[in-house]
Amino acid sequence: MGLLNFTRDPVPEAVSGDMHNLNQLSAQQFSELTEVLFRFLTEPKEVERFLAQLSDFATMNKISLGPLKNIVKSILLVPNGALKRNLSSEQVKADFIALGLSEEKASYFAEQWKVNSPTLTRLAVGQTLMINQLIDMEWKFGVTAGSSELEKVGSIFLQLKLVIKKGSQLENVYVELTLPQFYSFLHEMERVKTSLESFS
Amino acid sequence: MAALREEEFAALQSLLKAPSKDAVRQLCQECFSSPPAALRPLAQRACPGLAADPEEAEQLVSALHNLTRHVVYRGLTRAEDILSLFPENFHQNLKNLLTKIILENISAWRNEAQASQISLPRLVDMDWRVDIKTSSDSIIRMAVPTCLLQLKIQEDAALCGNNPVVSALTVELSKETLDTMLEGLGRIRDQLSAVANK
Repeated sequence: MGLLNFTRDPVPEAVSGDMHNLNQLSAQQFSELTEVLFRFLTEPKEVERFLAQLSDFATMNKISLGPLKNIVKSILLVPNGALKRNLSSEQVKADFIALGLSEEKASYFAEQWKVNSPTLTRLAVGQTLMINQLIDMEWKFGVTAGSSELEKVGSIFLQLKLVIKKGSQLENVYVELTLPQFYSFLHEMERVKTSLESFS
Repeated sequence: MAALREEEFAALQSLLKAPSKDAVRQLCQECFSSPPAALRPLAQRACPGLAADPEEAEQLVSALHNLTRHVVYRGLTRAEDILSLFPENFHQNLKNLLTKIILENISAWRNEAQASQISLPRLVDMDWRVDIKTSSDSIIRMAVPTCLLQLKIQEDAALCGNNPVVSALTVELSKETLDTMLEGLGRIRDQLSAVANK
């Protein structure tokens, strides 16, 4: 086997056997299986649904679930590696062929990869590490009417509650701003937006 | 409600022994700024020449503190209003001097009161930078801009006395989060304008 695009590590031995089995599926069956796989890849939290759909596929096509799961594990190696390395659909197709999948099926899978890769890339970016990610912001503003030191005040205050993800927990941070600080903050955030947009 | 009790006005007369007008001015400022708990040490420190004994010093300092705080509390800004606080038989020149000193300091004192009022932790500073993420374990090559925002937040001044605790919080925002935040901030600005124009 030549150099693969999706990985530099040696591929498990079982993979070529699994590809051989895949080749035995009809075009229709392969297309259905591919659909189940991509539905899972684009919604990776739906594990139960994925397993249920695999199970249905196995029953309907009279395939044992155990071997099917192994085949699926082998297939998924390619899209996972391809996502990490931003592979093109030609590269994905070439890798499947190198692993032993028929040209027709490899082409078909690569096509589906092309269609789904924007969504998958966005998901992968979303999973990238963020430090103290800002999840939510709530605010209120009002007027301070009086205090123990000043009978009549009449100044405006703005309170922000920032919900921040620290590791796996959410933390609330409460901050108070004066009006000039608020306008300054708004101005700075608009500058950040301009900066981010120029890099997008 | 009278500003001060009779004995307190009497205690103020100790100021007549002050070496200079500036000394009186200085003492007024220190008495206003001092929290009630710190008045006794202030009395010991500031009044050796003015008072016969420590007790008299404490009464003076306490009276001056109450007088200045009362004026600020009520928001008195006119000389007549301040002058009318004093009893009829109060020393005329001293009354005028105290009124003058109070008027000079009133707006600074008002700001001081507002700055030290209780509040949620306050924003004292804000810095930001934009990073470009080029690689991660989920994607080996990418170019995703992200914003790091550092907020310096000071805990309630009243709780910390003279050593306010400032903590720095660094928060990361994606472009989408920033857009949503700006939307929220824009809405705040619109509502503020609506309130201001009423």
